[in-house]
Amino acid sequence: MADLLTVQSLSAGYGRAVVLSDVTFALGEGQALAVLGRNGVGKTTLIDSLIGVTRRFAGSVRFSGKEIATLSPEARAQRGIGWVPQERNVFRSLSVEENLTAVARPGPWTADRVFGLFPRLAERRHHAGSALSGGEQQMLAIGRALATNPKLLLLDEPTEGLAPIIVQEVLAAIARLLREEGLAAIVVEQHARKILPITDRAVILERGRIVHESASAALLADATPLERLLGVTER
Amino acid sequence: MPSATLLGQALISGVLAGGMYGLLALGLSLSWGLLRLVNLSHFALAFLAAYLTYEMGTTYHIDPWWSVLVIVPAMFVIGLLQHWVFDRFKVNELASLLITFSFAVILEVAIQLYWTADYRRFETHYSTLSIKVGAFYIPVLELILCLVAGVLAWGTWLWLRKTYVGKALRASAEDAEIAAAYGVDHKKLAYLLSGLGAAYAGVAGTFIALIATLAPAQIWAWLGVVFAVVIIGRLGNPLGALFAGMLIGASESIAMAVLSPAWAPVVSFSVLIVLLLWDPDWS
Amino acid sequence: MSKGMGAWRRRTFLGGALAGMVAAPAVLRAAPPGKPVRVGGTLSLTGFLAQTAAIHKIAAEIMVEEINGRDGFLGRPIEYVLLDDQSKPDVARSLYEKLITVDKVDLIQGPYATAPILAAMGVAQRYGKIIIQSSMGIPKLQTYDMAFPATPFGPEPDKSYPNVILDAMATLSPAPKSMVVLTSKFPSAQFMAQGMRTEAEKRGVKVPLFLEYEAGNRDFGAIAARVKEANADFLWVGSLGLESNQILEALRKLDYRPKNSFHLYPAPGPLALSPDGNLVWSSTFLEPDEPFMSRPGMKRIAEHYKERATKANLPYPIIDAQAAGMAAQWQILEQGVNGAKSLEDKQIAAWLKKNVVTTVYGPTKFDGPYNHGAPAQLIRQVQNKEWKVVWPKDLAAPGVKLING
Ligand SMILES: Nc1ncnc2c1ncn2[C@@H]1O[C@H](COP(=O)(O)OP(=O)(O)OP(=O)(O)O)[C@@H](O)[C@H]1O
Ligand SMILES: [Mg+2]
Repeated sequence: MADLLTVQSLSAGYGRAVVLSDVTFALGEGQALAVLGRNGVGKTTLIDSLIGVTRRFAGSVRFSGKEIATLSPEARAQRGIGWVPQERNVFRSLSVEENLTAVARPGPWTADRVFGLFPRLAERRHHAGSALSGGEQQMLAIGRALATNPKLLLLDEPTEGLAPIIVQEVLAAIARLLREEGLAAIVVEQHARKILPITDRAVILERGRIVHESASAALLADATPLERLLGVTER
Repeated sequence: MPSATLLGQALISGVLAGGMYGLLALGLSLSWGLLRLVNLSHFALAFLAAYLTYEMGTTYHIDPWWSVLVIVPAMFVIGLLQHWVFDRFKVNELASLLITFSFAVILEVAIQLYWTADYRRFETHYSTLSIKVGAFYIPVLELILCLVAGVLAWGTWLWLRKTYVGKALRASAEDAEIAAAYGVDHKKLAYLLSGLGAAYAGVAGTFIALIATLAPAQIWAWLGVVFAVVIIGRLGNPLGALFAGMLIGASESIAMAVLSPAWAPVVSFSVLIVLLLWDPDWS
Repeated sequence: MSKGMGAWRRRTFLGGALAGMVAAPAVLRAAPPGKPVRVGGTLSLTGFLAQTAAIHKIAAEIMVEEINGRDGFLGRPIEYVLLDDQSKPDVARSLYEKLITVDKVDLIQGPYATAPILAAMGVAQRYGKIIIQSSMGIPKLQTYDMAFPATPFGPEPDKSYPNVILDAMATLSPAPKSMVVLTSKFPSAQFMAQGMRTEAEKRGVKVPLFLEYEAGNRDFGAIAARVKEANADFLWVGSLGLESNQILEALRKLDYRPKNSFHLYPAPGPLALSPDGNLVWSSTFLEPDEPFMSRPGMKRIAEHYKERATKANLPYPIIDAQAAGMAAQWQILEQGVNGAKSLEDKQIAAWLKKNVVTTVYGPTKFDGPYNHGAPAQLIRQVQNKEWKVVWPKDLAAPGVKLING
């Protein structure tokens, strides 16, 4: 089966700083990849490189069989890459509903379906983006990416800074997307334990390089690499 | 104390005069608010359209409601060309002021070369028609202008609220990078909006030709008050621009009726300062 | 003779061209040989005064050719070094400074409008240059003793001219008993408006409404409503440029037409040709009619003017007091140079103060306060879309009378 995304020997960064070095991995249709790593190792840079807002020094990114490394962010988005940024970045001056419809593209995911996924948003559909709580903003950011009907969803630390109960709600929604909807995704997470059960494969980054790659289930079964590379102890 | 008739009449003519402020403010507010481009040449474009209306009307005897069908699309194209310059040189907010200022000066000189510095008046039999309602007179042309401005402002407002393009533009205005990452082609939309702004200048120009006497230096006559209107109406808000225009027009007119006409120029900026300090949340 | 007044449209003007050819010998005669005498000056070729500068420029060019067609200045040809002050006094100031110190012109000519004139006068005074101007409506501001007015405002036009108007009003029947005075805050208009109010009240004409509006006022609706409500017998407007048209249009929108109205410094073309302009009064110093056309050189200048103004595409190609003022400026300078037999500023000035100069405005003296002679400001009225001098009666065009509106 042809891979949905193939990243080959990618080096990228900002300005003159090389952050990612020689990153190679592939993702099949409907697969979910967990990207793990400590603070500042380059997880967001990896996501940004797929979006197209970093500087590429070397390597290639193929998506649906086509090279996209030279394309602009809007062209990549139009080809089916949906992004949930770490900072959420919802449009504050647009209402919840407008946030979803302003960037919508045709497909199964409509604003109403997003409201089905996050009923909290439905209640606040006419509120401005600036009036939302952190959790609601995160839901809106996910919903907004879904409304573009992507083939690949990029989630950058979707549970960061949320209250535990909201974390549960967001994770449940993500699980539904990955497991029931079969959406291909790359999920950056600090909490490996939360994300490994719902992803197929996992990579661990350290100083801009992939230092471990395996099936997610394998990491769950044997947590040694996690402890070694992330300093995570069993909780 | 002025009579009720005087006050009422002043209010009517002020609101109607404010319609022109609003119409001129519309295009300016859109490009400033949504593209972060301050287009000082907006007034020059309106006057170019006015002179074209005059020329077509006096030399070729084409009625303005026909010539507007040619002029407005032509203005749209000029708006696109102008945006090409902004795009090509990656113009930011400050640079846009300088570039469009030079553009306005060049247009002023060009207008003066072709039509001379002398006054040009497009006399029509309907230019001073009024309808009488009770004790009040309502000038027909200004009324039509206000209706057109109202339709354009309302239509633009709906367009920005309800259509994909409109919402994408607003999203892009707030955060162009993020919007681009969601596939919004800001560049294409910006061209569209620049064309639209210039087309609105074309509409305003047609009315200027009918209502005012033209002289090249008049290009600058509306600058101050329309800027105040744009800011009071909130950048990028078409209905705000129209209401602010009418508010300023009415305030000026009432000040002229109750106090002294010499107060009029102070009014727009006083209203602006009061609103900036008070900062009501009505957006 | 001036049927061309309907030329509020562009068109070719054969008559003017023919007239120009008849007058050609004087122009085509070779300029005197020798190093040119350079006369520097600015006009507001761009900016908000550009409309009148176009008129002045044409008049000046005609005069330079005329003078060169005669004997130039003391047998030398003259050259007008004309710069654009952009309607800004500070630009005028630095350009006169440049003309005198860098370009080293021999003589200077004044610019147009009070503010640039004051700016230029300051520079002239600093360098001891004689300066002649034709458009400073407040004579008492002309404090420099080598500054000369080409236009016969008289030393106190705010006292003398209102009485000319009141005299004319008194001949109407019924004679107006009240007047609204409405004026721009432009200094020279405001100055005359205040004089008008004072003199009117002195003579028992009531002024129930005195209104000032800012120069550049955009909307006259509310002002018109106040004028209508005051409903006086006469409307006096201290207007400049298009303001009179705007005010009368605003009044018409209220279905109100003042019985008689006076307009101080309106753009003559638009007002004469406007449907609202019929029978309105205005100030002038001459019109292209008798007896003015019989003044020396006037006919020829008027014909040239018409020809050139038509060619320059001016919608109102008829010489009037504006253009005549510039013509007079050059006539005064020419006669001063020839009379003094010198290009020295001091000697020219001394000669002018002692002698009578003949310009298109008639015999002109500079022996009164502020170097002014006797006032000669007249009243003209729009009749059949043309401006006609109607007051004083002895200067009215043949067969023309003041018509009660
Ligand atoms: N815009 C930028 N310009 C320059 N350097 C940057 C920029 N963004 C990030 N970096 C640098 O790149 C490195 C990787 O940052 P990145 O944000 O990708 O890490 P991360 O793994 O996402 O961290 P976190 O867990 O804190 O989100 C850091 O050293 C950071 O300082
Ligand atoms: Mg990060």
